[in-house]
Amino acid sequence: MDFDVINTTTKDELLTAIEDHQDTNFRIGAGYTDLIMNLRFQPTEGMTLINIAQMKDPSFISIEEQQDHIVLGTLVTASNIVNSPLIKLEFPVLHEAALSVASTQIRNSATVGGNICNASPSADMAGALVALKAVCCVLNSKGEERIEPLASFIVGVGKTSLDKNEVLKSISIPRNSGDQLKSGFEKVGTRNSMEISIVSLAYHFQLDESGKVVDAGVSCGAVAPTIPFAESACDFMVGKDLDGLSETDKEEFAENVLKYATPISDIRASEWYRKEVLFNISQAIFD
Amino acid sequence: MKIVFKINGKQVSMEVKPSLLLIDLIRDVLKLKGTKPGCLEGECGACSVIVDGEAINSCMYLAINVNGKEVSTIEGLTGTENPLHKVQDKMLEHGAVQCGFCTSGIVMTTKAYSDKCLEEGITPTREEVKKSLEGNLCRCTGYAKIIDAAEAVYKK
Ligand SMILES: Cc1cc2nc3c(=O)[nH]c(=O)nc-3n(C[C@H](O)[C@H](O)[C@H](O)COP(=O)(O)OP(=O)(O)OC[C@H]3O[C@@H](n4cnc5c(N)ncnc54)[C@H](O)[C@@H]3O)c2cc1C
Ligand code: FES
Ligand code: FES
Repeated sequence: MDFDVINTTTKDELLTAIEDHQDTNFRIGAGYTDLIMNLRFQPTEGMTLINIAQMKDPSFISIEEQQDHIVLGTLVTASNIVNSPLIKLEFPVLHEAALSVASTQIRNSATVGGNICNASPSADMAGALVALKAVCCVLNSKGEERIEPLASFIVGVGKTSLDKNEVLKSISIPRNSGDQLKSGFEKVGTRNSMEISIVSLAYHFQLDESGKVVDAGVSCGAVAPTIPFAESACDFMVGKDLDGLSETDKEEFAENVLKYATPISDIRASEWYRKEVLFNISQAIFD
Repeated sequence: MKIVFKINGKQVSMEVKPSLLLIDLIRDVLKLKGTKPGCLEGECGACSVIVDGEAINSCMYLAINVNGKEVSTIEGLTGTENPLHKVQDKMLEHGAVQCGFCTSGIVMTTKAYSDKCLEEGITPTREEVKKSLEGNLCRCTGYAKIIDAAEAVYKK
């Protein structure tokens, strides 16, 4: 590995660095848990790395509690999420997803923005955030901001909607409106620890006082080129009483989730197995 | 690129190649060979060191990003007065060391976790102790003794 590094510690330094490198080959580096492997196996000659790991600007590094949203700076780490009592209370699905990432050592470095921008279908934090209907705040080198739902921000394996002159600044999650929650993250792999998902399911149901679903968010990981938001499965659940679900309801929910799965067979699992597992875990979350 | 940081309590300031990894800074520049290169892809934890109180994999960390921070390696845990840290004592007591390649990583991870537990006044369960070690592989011991040793660190 041999490359130049521009270290940025403020938003202005970052924007200038991006603006100055529009005609050259550059990468952005945050927690490096994905990037180092990339850099090790790709030619890095002539490449510039724009390092944002030492950024001091609070909008990039903090978890901010607003009235309608919780805003995560792009550099918030998986450990920051795991250790946040607010996230554990309001968004259990995100807490569980962050806790399922790799190991303590990786979680201490891995950023939420890196997890999203790496655009892997098996990215766990990104999966939870899709189910939470999170929205990305993207910044360009002129300092202009645009907002895009996370579900459309990830456009394919390793691909986001970011232009060359843009970076991800933060992610906002709408706060809950329901009184109670059923929220969690199911991850299936071949072992317990350090596992990249074979299939994952993120769900976040908000219920009213009587236990009826008033808002639903469901996404599935590692079964399509992106992390699809299972809209029809969510529509199916709204208005239902979670305690009174019949076996047919559970099956219909799982069938709706499965509509979004177009998995491939690879070394970790076959297409058939992925679909079976997704169907089974979708049903089982209500047991 | 110039960086200023603390290594095992000592303030240093040096010029480093921007693409240098922390593990190479520690082993090749600072000549501290207790931190081990295993997989170099974040899987095995042999390269674990503590940066500002948190265990990280030094094989996936740019050296320049320790600027302004405090790094501890296995060499910094002890001095002449206390030749072994409590975690090391427990590893020995429980026979948790065979070839030793994974040991410094396991000791550093456990040290960081036990400091955190102490600070928050928690005694972790065996399951939590296991979870805290999920990023450390050992090819020799079969883990039971390592987990016993780590668990013993939290017992009064
Ligand atoms: C051993 C191992 C196990 C793992 N296990 C899991 C797992 O269980 N679950 C999981 O989800 N992931 C896992 N990962 C993947 C990885 O740790 C996560 O995806 C992590 O969140 C990436 O964040 P980072 O900060 O390290 O990103 P980096 O490596 O710094 O960056 C990743 C990509 O995003 C880009 N990028 C980063 N930030 C920005 C930004 N603000 N704007 C624009 N582009 C940006 C970078 O240019 C790069 O292309 C694992 C990785 C390893 C090595
Ligand atoms: S050498 Fe760093 S994790 Fe294996
Ligand atoms: S003692 Fe040999 S790898 Fe752990």
